[in-house]
Amino acid sequence: MARKLCIFLFASLLLFPGCGARERWQTSTILAFDTICEINIFCSPSKSKSAQEEVQRVFSEIEALFSPGIDDYSSPLVLDLFQRGLKVYHDSNGCFDVTVGPLSRVWGFFDKSYVVPAPEQIKSALKLIGMEKIEQKNEALVLLPGMELDWGAIAKGFGIDLASKSLLETGISRGFINAGGDLYCWGKNPSDQSWNIGIKHPREIGFLGVLSISNLGAATTGDYQRYFVKDGVRYHHVFNPRTGYPAQSKQSVTVCGPETVICDALSTALFVSQEPEKILEKYPDYGAIIVDSDGNLSFLGKAYPFNPLE
Amino acid sequence: MERRDFFKKVILTPLLTPLFLAAKKSRSGCELYLIADNPEEFFPLILEELHNYVTNCGHSFAFLNSHPQENDLRRILTQAGLTYVQRPIQADLTLSFKPLHNKTLPSFTLIREGRIWDIRSRKLYSLWRDMNKNHMPSSCLTIASFKGRQSRPFSGEFVSVFKDGRKTEMISLEENVTKSYSTRGGKITLRVENRKAWVSESSCRHKICLSSPPVSFAGERIICAPNHFLLEIQGSRYIDTSIG
Repeated sequence: MARKLCIFLFASLLLFPGCGARERWQTSTILAFDTICEINIFCSPSKSKSAQEEVQRVFSEIEALFSPGIDDYSSPLVLDLFQRGLKVYHDSNGCFDVTVGPLSRVWGFFDKSYVVPAPEQIKSALKLIGMEKIEQKNEALVLLPGMELDWGAIAKGFGIDLASKSLLETGISRGFINAGGDLYCWGKNPSDQSWNIGIKHPREIGFLGVLSISNLGAATTGDYQRYFVKDGVRYHHVFNPRTGYPAQSKQSVTVCGPETVICDALSTALFVSQEPEKILEKYPDYGAIIVDSDGNLSFLGKAYPFNPLE
Repeated sequence: MERRDFFKKVILTPLLTPLFLAAKKSRSGCELYLIADNPEEFFPLILEELHNYVTNCGHSFAFLNSHPQENDLRRILTQAGLTYVQRPIQADLTLSFKPLHNKTLPSFTLIREGRIWDIRSRKLYSLWRDMNKNHMPSSCLTIASFKGRQSRPFSGEFVSVFKDGRKTEMISLEENVTKSYSTRGGKITLRVENRKAWVSESSCRHKICLSSPPVSFAGERIICAPNHFLLEIQGSRYIDTSIG
């Protein structure tokens, strides 16, 4: 009898390896992309540790490939992200552009040595801007001399998608990964409802409103995230690739949709564009919450549940 | 008296049932159900304690119907700083009277946002025990409805204070207070004012907690890791995380 019981227990362990470790909400933080990234998942404590390591691994890989100054133009991930960015580049009529690297450099955003460049410097930097100038030969990107890629407006969203997909594949059915301005959430929140995502107000302490979403990504581009003030003028990091100066007409743009990588790129494209509605027509599954330069709130594209707060 | 018995008495009062069910559905403010022939005796203490918890006890009161203890209630409420108004619609606190068919032991309960509200107050607990033990059965039910502030979605109601990993205190966001805490890591001071909470002083090295902006929405937190200190805003609907 005892032997039968032992066999039964052994068989149970083989069949249900997860049994015994109770699932609960696990929150952890890691440092990546120059920010604190929050991971909140529903799983067993042991799985949480491996999930955290997996997110760290993915983010480290993304940082190793897409940080400023890295010139790896042949990795499969680089080629994949370039193609995704190229589509948004064409769809946004060049408002999203990963070739703004020379602009980020002359304005000092790469090494935090902020400076307002001379008009001639901007003019020469603009000659190196435009994704159509890049060719793809023998499974590698070929850049013109002096060109430099700035993946800052798309790489984080790409990393979040890869990391959350990886966690989903390991059987973690509820959670979110939040890397500063970009996030992906899936399943239900601890209250068995959609995730309530606070969108920070671009000018005040507190929130603009709350997005209630699930199985979706969201990303925000704002003029308040990275900027410097010179002679009373605020210069931020989102450049208009045509003028070479920071885009002026908005304070923040949050985009919500199925893929965080697209949300990330679109939030920059809509921030820069004077006709954001035309861009979103090409992305029917994506919606945007826009605060213009006067602080007015508007919504474009697909409507996701949003609760504005005072 | 057991809470079950209390509700049995209340629900079995025919005129009261619709009113009670309406209160159960109410999503704002709070209702106090007080069984006592002399409610004026217990009202001041309950009111004082409620002031720390109810979003707004208000400034004015009115009667919805004739109350046998109306004069005494008016006196003690005026003493408590509330102004009597004739029109209930203008009042922050409305009182109504219902007779109970069967006399029962004096007691009280609170309903907030459609649910029984347990306030962890030593004074209220002592009062409840005293009413049950030392007073004669009563047939007078007083219902006090506090209009309260219409709560905004996701707005916080309390600050939960966690010290050395343990929840030690809850402070209403309605209060304006400054409190200091000694932890294993050092000393930290919390300020609550205008429905916002923030760290106003800290002995920690990098002072990251001091530079954290005030928090007011349910789910928002300020953490001071060196001081083993965490404050979290609590409310009925939580913001899970934020971006931007």
